[in-house]
Amino acid sequence: MNKITIPIGPHHPLLKEPLSMKIDIAGERVLGASLRLGYVHRGIEKLALERTYVQDVHLIERICGICSHVHTTTFCLAVEALLGIEVPPRAQYIRALMCELERVHSHLLWLGILAKHVGLETVFMHTWHDRELALDIMEGVSGGRVSHAANQIGGVRFDLSEEQEAMIRENVEKLKTQVGGVLDVIENEPALRARTQGVAPVSVELIKDYCVVGPVARASGVDIDLRRDDPWPPYDQLDFKVITLPDGDAWARTLIRALETRESLRLCETIMHKMPDGPVTVRAPRKVPEGEVVTRSEAPRGEVVYYLRSNGSDKPARLKVRTPTLAVLSLLPEQLSAIHVADIPVVLAGIDLCIACADR
Amino acid sequence: MVNEINFDTVIAAIEDEIGCDCEPYGGMINEEALRIPVDHLQSVIRVLRDQFGCYHLSTITAQERENQPGEVELIYHFWQGKGISLMISVPLESPQVESILSLISGADFYEREVAELYGVTFTGREETPPLLLPDNWDLGPPFIRREETDE
Repeated sequence: MNKITIPIGPHHPLLKEPLSMKIDIAGERVLGASLRLGYVHRGIEKLALERTYVQDVHLIERICGICSHVHTTTFCLAVEALLGIEVPPRAQYIRALMCELERVHSHLLWLGILAKHVGLETVFMHTWHDRELALDIMEGVSGGRVSHAANQIGGVRFDLSEEQEAMIRENVEKLKTQVGGVLDVIENEPALRARTQGVAPVSVELIKDYCVVGPVARASGVDIDLRRDDPWPPYDQLDFKVITLPDGDAWARTLIRALETRESLRLCETIMHKMPDGPVTVRAPRKVPEGEVVTRSEAPRGEVVYYLRSNGSDKPARLKVRTPTLAVLSLLPEQLSAIHVADIPVVLAGIDLCIACADR
Repeated sequence: MVNEINFDTVIAAIEDEIGCDCEPYGGMINEEALRIPVDHLQSVIRVLRDQFGCYHLSTITAQERENQPGEVELIYHFWQGKGISLMISVPLESPQVESILSLISGADFYEREVAELYGVTFTGREETPPLLLPDNWDLGPPFIRREETDE
């Protein structure tokens, strides 16, 4: 059968973000694929060198529209390590709370997208409705649904009032019930299983060879989570389960995100229960002493890495950002090979693309 | 659960296996780092992977240091319970490094990014179309500092 190459993107109804793919097909089978990024490359690593550390926090918030908080957290952790300042415990807990809420809303958003791709419109409506509860908390405490600007070098920008704490507990409780319903659908809905089970399985060897991170790695049984394996406070003081599944197929990648959402909500409750009193920020100098540092965080999609080098001024000398999508994307051509054309949306959705993150 | 790697054992193993003089670099917070000769990059990565199970390459950082003019430094950030970095330097005039794609498939995008933004040539791998920069970009690697660009 003749090989045909079909271009998808950079602007395509299947994708909300610009990614260009050339997919080789023969009949109904996919033979291979190649990717082209760069349509939202903003040169943020370069821009960051022209701005002060304080301004960079706001620039870095805009790397991603979903996991903006984890980026600024990882950056602030790097600057604080170079400054040698310790963030007050309450600020650490508020940072972790926002990270977990971000994971909840990111995973719910993704579950909705997958549900839409496989034709489960009702699940899409429910997950996106439920996600608003997490966004309401984040907006309620920070003032922003997408860019929360929660972090500043030395702590967080806001404290939680008693009313806000009550609202957080109430919304988390509601979310737990709602996510229970979504989990029930994922585990028991035959249509979803039929569309995802056994589709594009990824072996442990491939995950390791391609240095894949996050839920995609854990859905293939690779037990890796930086919140436990390389934690920053307060994750070293919190108990939570790292969920792994053995199957590695599109269904496992769906189920794991629902299970992780439930675990993150439990973690939110633990954080609220253990939330210490005290200040939420310490004063940080504008100039950062000479030195270099690497910080890592577990974003909703996996490992985020920041390398920061300071030359003693108030602007970085080098900032390197590695986002999880870039690690997971390199596996995509491998995942797409030998599947049916009809499964392309399921596989694409399965890795939870964030092109803005990958391009930076 | 990932077992943390012991840095001293790694250095001993590298010296045993390859006999190259790797120089521990203590300047990095949160990360152990080793300066190694550029020719030994592949063999050191093989030791890390085969003897210590350290397979995870987080990224490759390229940079120019003010105190090393005329050089591009590449930092290969590995992770196994904690960060461990390999640092190599290549001349800015003709930066060439052997690709590690045959050892770690996940290095593909990281090498392409460094190649485009810093002009480093990775030998031993197929030539690829642009990944991040526009197709018609002809201004050279945008991250390399140039003094004359402000004219």
